Amino acid sequence: MSLELLMVVALGGSLLTYVLGRVSSRLRNGFAVLVSLALVAMVASLYGKALHVSYYEDFLGMSLVLRVSGLSWLFAMTASTLGCLSVVFSLSYMKGKERTSFYYSMLLLVNAAMLGVVLSGDLLSLFIFWEIMSWSTFLLISYNGGPALAAGMKYFVMSFVGSLAMLAGLLTVYGSFGTLEFGGVAAGMLSASPGYILAIFVLFGVAFGTKNAIWPFHAWLPPAHSEAPSPFSAILSGILIKMGVYGFLLIIFVLVGLRNFMALGADGLPLHTVLSIVGAITILFPTFMAIMQNDAKKLLAWSTVAQAGYIILGISFGTSLSVAGGVFHFVNHAVFKALLFMVVGTVEYRTKGVRDLDSLGGLIKKMPLTFAVALIGVCGLIGVPLTNGFVSKWLIYKTLILERSPFLALVALFGTWGTILYSYKFLHNIFLGQLPEKYKDLERAPMTMRLPMTVLSIVVVLFGVLPGIPLSVINSIDTSFGLKPLNVTLWGLASDTGALNTINILAAVFAGLLIVWLVLKSGGRKVSVDQADNYAAGAAIPKDKYQYSVGFYAPLTRMVAPYLKDFMDSFYMRLAGWVGGLGSGIRRIYTGYVGDYAMYIVLFLAALIFVQLTWSPW
Amino acid sequence: MRILWLVLSPLIALAVGLFFLGLSRRVMARIHWRYGPPLYQPLIEIFRYFTQKGSSHGVLFGLGIVLSLAGSIVVILFLPFGGICSMSGSGGMLVVLYMMLLAPLGIALSGGEAANPNASIGISRKLMLALGYELPFLLIVLAIMTHYDTISLVDIVSAQRETASAFASFPLVLSGIAYLLILPAMLGMRPFEVVHAPQEISSGPIAEYSGPYLGLVTIQHALTTFIGISLFVNLVWGGAGNPFVFFLKMLVVLAFGLFVNAAFPRLRVEQAVRYLWRWPTLIAFVGLILVVTLGR
Repeated sequence: MSLELLMVVALGGSLLTYVLGRVSSRLRNGFAVLVSLALVAMVASLYGKALHVSYYEDFLGMSLVLRVSGLSWLFAMTASTLGCLSVVFSLSYMKGKERTSFYYSMLLLVNAAMLGVVLSGDLLSLFIFWEIMSWSTFLLISYNGGPALAAGMKYFVMSFVGSLAMLAGLLTVYGSFGTLEFGGVAAGMLSASPGYILAIFVLFGVAFGTKNAIWPFHAWLPPAHSEAPSPFSAILSGILIKMGVYGFLLIIFVLVGLRNFMALGADGLPLHTVLSIVGAITILFPTFMAIMQNDAKKLLAWSTVAQAGYIILGISFGTSLSVAGGVFHFVNHAVFKALLFMVVGTVEYRTKGVRDLDSLGGLIKKMPLTFAVALIGVCGLIGVPLTNGFVSKWLIYKTLILERSPFLALVALFGTWGTILYSYKFLHNIFLGQLPEKYKDLERAPMTMRLPMTVLSIVVVLFGVLPGIPLSVINSIDTSFGLKPLNVTLWGLASDTGALNTINILAAVFAGLLIVWLVLKSGGRKVSVDQADNYAAGAAIPKDKYQYSVGFYAPLTRMVAPYLKDFMDSFYMRLAGWVGGLGSGIRRIYTGYVGDYAMYIVLFLAALIFVQLTWSPW
Repeated sequence: MRILWLVLSPLIALAVGLFFLGLSRRVMARIHWRYGPPLYQPLIEIFRYFTQKGSSHGVLFGLGIVLSLAGSIVVILFLPFGGICSMSGSGGMLVVLYMMLLAPLGIALSGGEAANPNASIGISRKLMLALGYELPFLLIVLAIMTHYDTISLVDIVSAQRETASAFASFPLVLSGIAYLLILPAMLGMRPFEVVHAPQEISSGPIAEYSGPYLGLVTIQHALTTFIGISLFVNLVWGGAGNPFVFFLKMLVVLAFGLFVNAAFPRLRVEQAVRYLWRWPTLIAFVGLILVVTLGR
C-alpha cells in the first residue's frame, strides 16, 4: 500500500463527493461512506510498516516526503476510524439540511488533511496539510451560520496566529539547517544551542497549543465545538484538536529529542515543568467551567479542554509510563468524547435541535440504547475502572506519584471529581428525572446513529478490560522514542513499581454484581411504577414541573462563579475590539472625496520635504 | 486461605457495619434521653424489607443500586482489616480511590431514574459535598503516600506499625487533624447531613426506595459506614495487627463521629463546602507542603 495512493484516495474522494452530490444525494452518501471505509482499511494495512516516500522532488531544492511510523499510524488510524463513524452518523443527522454535498466534501477533506498532517515526513508538507485542515475546519464550524460564524471566526483568527508562529518556526529551521525533513532537522538540533531550541519550541508550541486548546489558547474551543454540526464536533473534539498533541510529540521526541527537551528552560524552572503546570491549569479551570454550563455541547467542549490537560500533563514528564499514559489518554478521549458528542447529536436530532440541559429529562425511557452508550462514554470520561479512561488516567496518576509531584497529582485527581459532577449533570439532565409531556412520543435513534455509537462504546469497554491491545501499540511508540519499554500484559501492566491488573478488578466487580443481584432477586416481589406514581408528600404530581434540573449545582455555582472569570478570553476579546477599533479608525481616512485624497498626497510630500530639509537623510 | 478471606471480609464488614448502625441509633437515643431500638434493629429491618413488595422505576433503578453495592464490596476487598487484605496487589490506593466512586455513582444513577426531584436534589448535594471533602481528603492521601513513598495501603499500614501511627508522627499529624475535621462529612453525619436531610428533602436519593431495594440501600449504608471508618483507621491511625484491635479502633472513631453528630445542627450545602475548603484544606495543604519539603 503506497502512501501516495492513500492521500490521492483521501483528497480525491473529498472532491468527487462534491461532484457526485450534484448528481444524486444517495450516490454521494454511499460514496462518502465507501471512501471513509477504504481509508480505514488502507491505514490499517500500514500497521507495523515504516515507509518513507518523496512524492514531490525538488520543491525549492527540497523534496516533500510522506512517511509512516508507529506514532503516525496510531493517529492516522484514530482519525480515519472516527472520520468513518462520523460520516455514517451524518447520514441521518444531515438529512434534509441544505448544502449537504459541501458538508460531506469538507468532512472528507478534513479527514484527508489530518491524515496528511500525521503522514508528513517534512515540516513543509506538515504546514501545507495543517493549513488545509484549519481552513476546512473553519468552513465546517461556521456551517450553520449566525453564532456559528462568529465562533468560526474566533477559531480562525486564533488558528491563524498559530499558523503564523509555525511558519516563522519553519523558516527559522530552514534558514539554519537548509532542510525541513524530520531526520535532517533532528540531526541539526543535536548541535543547536539551547536558546535556539527553546525559540523553535515556543514557536511550534504556540501553533500546536492553539490547536490543542491548552490554556491560555483555549478560548476558541467552547464556542466552536458547540456551534459546529454534532458529527463534526465529534471529529473536532476527538481527533482534530489532538493534532496539537501529535505536534507536541513530534517536536519533543522526534525533532528536538527528549534529552534536549528536558534540558530546556531556566535552572529552577525547566520547560517541561512549565508545560506540566500549563497542563494542570488546563485541567482545573475548564473542569469548573464545564460544571457551570447549561448547553450540553458546551459542557462537553469545556471537558475536552480539561482532558487535553491530562494528555499534556502525561507527555510533559517524558518517562515511558507518562508518555504511554498521555498517548493512551489521547486515544481514549477520542473514543469517548466522539461518542458523547454523537449522543448529543442524537438527542438534538430527535428533539429537533434541543441541547439545553435545563429543558430535557427522562429520555432514558425513550432512548434506552442512547442512554446506555452515554453512560459508558461518561464512565470512560470519569475513568471508572474497567473502562479505557481508567487505565490511561491510572498511568498518569502513577507517574505523578512516582515522580513525586503530589500537587500535580492533586489537580489531576481533583479534576476527576469535577468530571463526575459535570458528567452526572449531563446524564441526569438529559436522560434521568421526569420525562416532559412533549417528548412522550419520541422515537429511538435511527440505525445509522446507533451503529457508530455502539461501535465506540464497545471500544471504550474493550480497551478498559483488555488495555494490553492498545498499550502494546503505544509501547512500540515509546520504544521508538528511545524510552524504556513497559512490561505490558493483556490485562494491564506488570511492573516492579506497582502492577495494574484489570482481570482481578473485573472478576471482583463481576462477583460483587452477581452476588448483589442474586440477593435482590431473592427479595420480595417488584412492581414497575410510572413516573407519575412517585412520592410527593401526598400531593398529586404536577406534570412537567416535578423535575430538578435547572441550576443543578446552583449552590456551588454561587460559590465559585465570582472567582471563575475566563480572563484569557476577555483579554482576547478586548484585543480583538482594539484591533477592530484601530481598523475602523484607519478606515475613516477613506472619505470618498478626491479633494481629501489630494490633500493626503500634498501632506505626505510636504512631510517628505520637511524631513529632507531638516535631517537630509537622502 | 485467600479465597476464604475474599468471601469472609465482606461478611465481616457487613456485620460490623450493621452493628455500627444499631449502635449509633442506640447511642443517639441515649444522648436524647430515650431508650432507643435494640442493637439488632437494622437486621430486623433488612429482613422485613426483603419480604415486602418493592416498586421499581425501571431497569437502571435496580441496576444502579446493585452497581453501588458491588462497588462497596470490591472496595472492602482492597482495604486491610487488621492484618487481613484480600486484594493487596491489584493497583493499591489509586484503585481504592476510584472504586469508592462506584458507590455514590450507582446510587446517583438509580436515584436519577426514580424521577423524584427530592432524589435529584439529594444527589446534586452529595456530589457537591463530595467535591468539598475530596479536596482536603486528596491532600491528606497524597501527603501520606508521599511520606511513606508507596501507593499501597498495606505498605502504608505496615510502615505506620513499624514506627508510629501517622497521627503521632510529626509532619503527618496535620494530615491526621485535617482528616478528623472532614470525617463527619465523609460519613454523611451532622453537621454534613445535607444529602439525606429527612425533614427537608424526604431522605433525598433514597426517597423512592421500598421493599428489597430499601433493603439493599440499608446494607449499602452499613458498608459505607464501615469503609469510611476503616479507611481512617488504616490511613492515619496505623491500622492494627489483628481484627479485634482494629474493631476497637473503629469503635472509638465511630463514637467521635456520633458525638459530633449529636452536638451540631445541619449546615446548608454551601456552608458545608465553604467550611471544607477552608480549615481542613488549609491544614491538609500545610501538611502536604511540610511532607514534601521535609522529606522522609
